[in-house]
Amino acid sequence: MKVRISLAAMALTALVAAGCGSSNTTTASSSTTKAASSGGSAQGKCAVSIGIEAPLTGQVAVLGQEQLAFAKLAVQADNQANGTDITLVQGDTQLMPAQATTVTQQFISNSKIVGVVGPAGSQEVEAVGPLFGRAGLAFISGSATNPTLTSSGKNATFFRTVSRDDVQGPEDANFIVTHLHPKALMIVDDQEVYSTGLVSAMTPVFQKAGIKIDHESVSQKVTDFSSLVAKVTPQTTVVVLPWQVAANAQQFGKNLAEQHKNATIVGTDGTYSPSAFTTAGSYVSSFGPDITAIPADASIVTAAKAAFPKFGTFGPPIYAATHVLDEAIASACKSGQPSRSSVLSAVKATDESSSILGQPIKFDSKGDMENAKWFLFKIDKTGKYNLVTGS
Amino acid sequence: MTKFIQELVNGLTQGGLYALVALGYSMVYGVLKLLNFAHGDLYMVGAFIGYFVLQWFGGPTALAIPVPFVILAMFLAAGGGVGALGVAIERFAYRPLRDAPRIAPLITALGVSFLLENTVLLLFGASYRDYNTSAFIPYSTEIRIGGVNIWLVQIMVIVLSVVLMFGLQQLVVRTQLGRQMRAVATDREAAEMLGINVDYTISATFFLGSALAGIAGVMAGLAFNEIYQLMGFILGLKAFTAAVVGGIGSIPGAMLGGFLIGIAEAFITGYISSTFTNLIVFGILIVFMILRPTGLLGRVQLQKV
Repeated sequence: MKVRISLAAMALTALVAAGCGSSNTTTASSSTTKAASSGGSAQGKCAVSIGIEAPLTGQVAVLGQEQLAFAKLAVQADNQANGTDITLVQGDTQLMPAQATTVTQQFISNSKIVGVVGPAGSQEVEAVGPLFGRAGLAFISGSATNPTLTSSGKNATFFRTVSRDDVQGPEDANFIVTHLHPKALMIVDDQEVYSTGLVSAMTPVFQKAGIKIDHESVSQKVTDFSSLVAKVTPQTTVVVLPWQVAANAQQFGKNLAEQHKNATIVGTDGTYSPSAFTTAGSYVSSFGPDITAIPADASIVTAAKAAFPKFGTFGPPIYAATHVLDEAIASACKSGQPSRSSVLSAVKATDESSSILGQPIKFDSKGDMENAKWFLFKIDKTGKYNLVTGS
Repeated sequence: MTKFIQELVNGLTQGGLYALVALGYSMVYGVLKLLNFAHGDLYMVGAFIGYFVLQWFGGPTALAIPVPFVILAMFLAAGGGVGALGVAIERFAYRPLRDAPRIAPLITALGVSFLLENTVLLLFGASYRDYNTSAFIPYSTEIRIGGVNIWLVQIMVIVLSVVLMFGLQQLVVRTQLGRQMRAVATDREAAEMLGINVDYTISATFFLGSALAGIAGVMAGLAFNEIYQLMGFILGLKAFTAAVVGGIGSIPGAMLGGFLIGIAEAFITGYISSTFTNLIVFGILIVFMILRPTGLLGRVQLQKV
């Protein structure tokens, strides 16, 4: 009996560890990075902080690290341009709502922080939105796309520099229906709010078109999809992967090749990675543009390649979000030491005629970016991403 | 029938990896009664060592020496390196706690797991690394069975897993070291009184178990291409499940459990839905813990009171 109980206790410990460690690693760390060496007045005017909530470790650390690199670049450039002394405080959320909540409480209790960039995931925004709202702290995500984040009215101080799923999802689905003409398709969510949200937005379009749908679901942690690929029938000519991990989409493509199946992969956002997802003939839709193709971004691209050589489309919207906050702080500085409320007001009044994203930035009353675009790319035989359409 | 064979091959490939990692769980549990939760991360370290050996020989598209020698070098480096790492972990993290309450080394094992994951993150970054195996072992190197094309790498993983497990079983049954391991597993104090070097035996156990995990990591890289710092976590849990299902402490049980879990996963995904795969697999773990905690091939242990 003793053996049974102790073994059961250990198994329970394992399962608890599995639960709390879905992106286990370190606890939320908040290290401070002074991202500018110049700028800032000698009197310390405008010496305030911005928090960044990103998955710096864990399953999608590659995306979080990209976001952090771009946030640092923005703070550095804006400090130099505006003469401010903004510092960046890092908070690692591991893409977990619970972790994001802890980091958010740390940020709220840090009186130097007057605005926050992030968090990355819609599920995290859902968890922390009311906390930020109560603290009157503006937070701008560069990747949370779930429509309810702004439509629910729960997140009064939330803004985003990306389009919403209800724009991107139906547009992606319409493109698949009208250009790829599948009779049957497989759509695989990765069991995260982001992914299931996009699936919900796409499915009605497919159903309306009379396409047979095989909806599957697989954890982000899975790295072998051969069993799923075995279910891809000859009639299944399209596989939709609204995923956050590009390497997983690449592996799915390899499993298709391994089993001699010819379905076309259509990935979204997280799968945009010219270094990690290169399966020829696949499509990737993204909330962010390829800034290497925007001439006005040349200097940022050079700096970004030095800071994070293999960047994709998660960094630029964060650069835009950080820039919005930097400008709001600089604006608030003109009438004294910036406060959370003055920064929030300035963010609401944002009206940039151009941005790193190749479009103006202005928020509507709910916090969504007006006329936010989405982009669709096709991967050619050399692994290059070619823009198919952007709206 | 085609789908059945395809899923069976998929299950055997994944199951072979589970079995190799489960063996390490089982061996360590056998001698120390410790669930080494860092074991899945040793598998991850093995995958990284194999990757860097591959790069050292020119990378997947420009190998400087014949492919079989590269693969052999990857297995040897990963097996040796991870084996040594396992010995070091036992020496510095677990040995000081050998006589502590059992929860202490268990928590330490979780700590070691996080340490390994974050060390790899710090050293090599968050980016996924790609073995790109098909660049040097093309998909065309396959055999056709019942309408299913089975890639050479899948065959290699299945065959090598079985060979390694058989070899380990022979080592435990027929060699001096194996007898010492069984003696320590049965009664450590009595083994020590009989002159067995317990520390050496435990270190050797950790070396063997860790080396198998390292080799499994290379196999995973070859078969599934993508490696990253957290790849060992969920696999470690699945391997633990396999060890429990087979009978923790039993080498044939770990083998059987690994293949059963791998095949169950493949058939659940293929014939029910991928949505239910983890639910059912961990459900199996709970059912076994309740109804048959000794697993399929495990034995009830007598406890001195």
